[in-house]
Amino acid sequence: MERSLDQLVSEARGGGPRSQRAAARLMSVMTDQPHRLAELLAGSRDWPQPRLVLGITGAPGSGKSTLADHVVAELRALDPRRKVGVVAVDPSSPFTGGALLGDRVRMMRHATDSMVYIRSLASRGHLGGLALGAKGVVRVMGLVGCDIVVVETVGVGQSEVEIAQNADVVVVVLAPGQGDSIQMLKAGLMEAGDLFVVNKADKPDAAQLQQQLLAMLERSRTARLDLAHGASEPLVCHGPQLQGPGGPIDIQQDRPPPPMDFDEETPGVFLCSAANHQGIKEFVAALEELTTRQAALWQARRQEQAVEEIRQAVLEEVRRRVSHVLQLNGNGENQIRRILAGETTLNELVDWLMDVAASGTNAKSPAASDAKSHLRTEAAGRAEFA
Amino acid sequence: MGSTAETAARIATAIDAWNNGPVAKSLAKFPEQRTAFVTASDKKVERLYGPDASIFDDYDRKLGLPGQYPFTRGVQPTMYRGRFWTMRQYAGFATAEESNKRYRYLLEQGTTGLSVAFDLPTQIGYDSDDDMAAGEVGKVGVAIDSLADMETLLEGIPLDKISTSMTINATAAILLAMYIVVGEKQGVAADKLNGTIQNDILKEYIARGTYRFPPKPSLRLISDIFGYCTERVPNWNTISISGYHIREAGSTAAQEIAFTLADAICYVDTAIKAGLKVDDFGPRLAFFFASHSDLFEEVAKFRAARRLYARIMKERFGAANPKSLMLRFHTQTGGVTLTAQQPENNIVRVAIQALAAVLGGTQSLHTNSKDEALALPTEEAVTVALRTQQIIAYESGVTNTVDPLAGSFFVEKLTDELEAEAEALIKQIDERGGVVAAIEQGFIQKQIEQSAYRFGQSIDSGDRVIVGVNRFTSGDEPDIDLFEVPESTTQRQVEKLQRVRQSRDSKKVEAALANITQAAASDANLMPPIIDAVREYATVGEICRALAVVFGEYAESHS
Amino acid sequence: MEKSLKPRLLIGKPGLDGHDRGAKYVAQILRDAGFEVIYTGIRRSPEQIVDTAIQEDVAAIGLSLLSGAHNVLFGRVLELLRERGAEDVLVFGGGTIPPKDVPRLKEMGVAAVFTPGTPAREIVETIDGLLAQRPAV
Ligand SMILES: Nc1nc2c(ncn2[C@@H]2O[C@H](COP(=O)(O)OP(=O)(O)OP(=O)(O)O)[C@@H](O)[C@H]2O)c(=O)[nH]1
Ligand SMILES: [Mg+2]
Repeated sequence: MERSLDQLVSEARGGGPRSQRAAARLMSVMTDQPHRLAELLAGSRDWPQPRLVLGITGAPGSGKSTLADHVVAELRALDPRRKVGVVAVDPSSPFTGGALLGDRVRMMRHATDSMVYIRSLASRGHLGGLALGAKGVVRVMGLVGCDIVVVETVGVGQSEVEIAQNADVVVVVLAPGQGDSIQMLKAGLMEAGDLFVVNKADKPDAAQLQQQLLAMLERSRTARLDLAHGASEPLVCHGPQLQGPGGPIDIQQDRPPPPMDFDEETPGVFLCSAANHQGIKEFVAALEELTTRQAALWQARRQEQAVEEIRQAVLEEVRRRVSHVLQLNGNGENQIRRILAGETTLNELVDWLMDVAASGTNAKSPAASDAKSHLRTEAAGRAEFA
Repeated sequence: MGSTAETAARIATAIDAWNNGPVAKSLAKFPEQRTAFVTASDKKVERLYGPDASIFDDYDRKLGLPGQYPFTRGVQPTMYRGRFWTMRQYAGFATAEESNKRYRYLLEQGTTGLSVAFDLPTQIGYDSDDDMAAGEVGKVGVAIDSLADMETLLEGIPLDKISTSMTINATAAILLAMYIVVGEKQGVAADKLNGTIQNDILKEYIARGTYRFPPKPSLRLISDIFGYCTERVPNWNTISISGYHIREAGSTAAQEIAFTLADAICYVDTAIKAGLKVDDFGPRLAFFFASHSDLFEEVAKFRAARRLYARIMKERFGAANPKSLMLRFHTQTGGVTLTAQQPENNIVRVAIQALAAVLGGTQSLHTNSKDEALALPTEEAVTVALRTQQIIAYESGVTNTVDPLAGSFFVEKLTDELEAEAEALIKQIDERGGVVAAIEQGFIQKQIEQSAYRFGQSIDSGDRVIVGVNRFTSGDEPDIDLFEVPESTTQRQVEKLQRVRQSRDSKKVEAALANITQAAASDANLMPPIIDAVREYATVGEICRALAVVFGEYAESHS
Repeated sequence: MEKSLKPRLLIGKPGLDGHDRGAKYVAQILRDAGFEVIYTGIRRSPEQIVDTAIQEDVAAIGLSLLSGAHNVLFGRVLELLRERGAEDVLVFGGGTIPPKDVPRLKEMGVAAVFTPGTPAREIVETIDGLLAQRPAV
């Protein structure tokens, strides 16, 4: 018997030996059925949330896992009562769908620390450096009390935009002796970074890499300032235009300002030797400081993201139910032909589909999308066409 | 009569013509069994080999004479005509008492050297009562906690007459210290002791996993041992640089040579940096390789390794003493080639592998027992393994002449190819900043893992046949008698340890341990304080903890 | 459920034995068979392995051991799973395991034991089969 989300949530929050398993199971629900994120969020009103979600990205082998391991060690040493989470994403094989998840090998010393929660995810073909369910997994880490959650991306130089959307702070890890570090910066990684770690400082070329990075950042800062001074329009992120009954829905309304404004300063660059725990203290201190300053803002942004997430889920659910009705009827083949033949109109078909879809649902709580409502839609759909 | 180059070219042309003419015609009617023939290491093998002019034109540089640079043909002038290899059977299990009995039995049966296997807690430096030792005490070798165990282990064995090889790495300094003190107590001075410690920590990070400390302090322990033995235990082989475990982990033959020699380069570098002279410790460096069933490839591997090593020592390190240039090695037949199915077949595999080692000029040999894929060997199985060596030595006739396969077109070609492949890999490691960096980057482990994967896939696909495993299987396996480590081992060992702890002078032990920590923090040689602590019956676990205070501990971080 | 996903597995090496060729190979063939496999690395305690398995929500744990300590260490893993209320997690094992120990391990609760030379296909099929029988949780 599959336990319901609610059941798992209350078990996960309950503490005790069952809580770890329930939380782990919840994370599996999030990764196996990512569309249920909205369902999770919908019930997350009174959940604790991480104060900081730290994204770690960078070229393969630059030391992301090692950095995560040492950041966790440092955080735990600073405050033994603090829970820390790690979400580490590795690529799935495009051929077999299988994956070998190895990031964790570097973090095994935390395995028996009940205050550290580590979860390995396979990207499952999802591009963008994360796994589809990662956002939900982070939420569950919050639920079980993780104060800081570290998210390590796949690190194969794909679009890094996704981590920027999913983390409060993104740190880009670079390492000397890897030609791809600078290449990746040029290819857009630099814009994704709030902070930079030049790792493997124990190697001779690290200082040179740091210089290169600082020069690049300086150049891009000047460019950005020019841009900002030239155009008076504030830079806003345009999401998809949604159409509602009353015309376009403006999802930009009341958005908080972009979370971190680095226009006036060069993002922090840290020289570390993660493997030797060097530079980690300074890096973690900077994170702490940043968190104290910005946590409220991040919280608000996350709230906003939840709103957006649910909005998307609502629309998706509407689309799913309507197309389900269509599907039950031979994909509307006949109806569509009738439109083409001029026997009915497009609008009539749409109205009819929406009616059928709606008649199968509980009118009082349209947002509740439990499994049973699907069945009811199905029954209603069949009845209509019988 | 033309030059050798012309002759070789003429024969090569003839072979081409033969391939394209009569062979091609016959292939149309009688195709070969496979489209491509490869060695056990996946190297392509041709239908027929012809002579390579360089064997003659470049004879001195490539082959030389036995006992002379570049030692391709062997490290001694007369090889087995003078003396057979040392027949050395690796053994040890449960407690010191039981192992001592097995050693005495083996010596009676004609082994000519002891080879001590320690259990994993001893190898890694945990006492038998440590949580980390749960389930492992006395399992893969003998449990040694303190000098008391070492005294029992070596009881009645004259240390001035026997050479002892100890498979010990992370804790080599401690076990060597115990051996020296037992010698003292038997009245045998340190400079009369003969033997080998494996002491090759780098391959532990690469393949075998019994590390305790990080690479840097581990290397320092090794050069402290070099330094101490050069002065005080001059006949001791202070390291046995091991390709065996690298091969066991799945490497190819060329990778076995390359990674072993890359380790050697690092040890030599470390010792030179510590102020030792290459020709002082060079002669005491020994090697340890595996021998697998692809007979010619293995023979070529041993020959290639000798030639490449001589060149590295001469050209890279400027060694001049011929003894520094010689790659002397122990061989063990390939543990991973043993099958749990139809275990009797293993006797035949071991015989072929042992033959390869002898044809390749090994200095000492361990032959595996037929039952080792299932458990530690029984006495009966060990005896058959030893008899296999004796049959090769006394009956086969292969020992009558030196380097009998030299001049085989195929073997010489394979020797050249393996040497070139290994040299290219060493170059890659150099480019990565040396072997420690390459290990830290996971480069070497990845290379081995990939070879192991390919090999596994070739068996799983049926492409490579393993008799009794993926072909010629015979359903139900007959029962065979297996050796069992007595269940009571842990308990007996822990009780003995507790007695030792109660009867020693704990003040002296503490002081001795404090000295070790202090020495570890300075750059003093660690052997003297370790010997002092051992003498006071400080345990292996205690000494390792005293070192770890300064050295830290190492954990695997590669997937 | 969108599509049927294969369950997640963990391959671990308990105890002090560092021979990881078999463990890595099995991890790789399971990956090739479409499983998501979490690999722990060598020299892990039963506690580390079980805690990891729980956090990673795996359906099965594969243990590889060549040192002969299997009776003690496999037993400890099973015991910890029970203590943590995770006895539904399947445990299978492999390595240098004398045939005579196999019934004993099975009695302890080890679902399958693969000795050296077991073909990859057989390992994958056995695990697939065992997981299919498993009641849904
Ligand atoms: N010299 C040195 N090596 C380091 C340092 N940090 C990490 N490494 C090594 O760099 C290699 C890669 O480290 P990981 O932490 O696995 O890197 P990653 O970015 O997580 O790699 P992927 O997950 O495979 O993309 C390992 O061999 C580490 O031991 C450092 O500070 N100095
Ligand atoms: Mg990583």
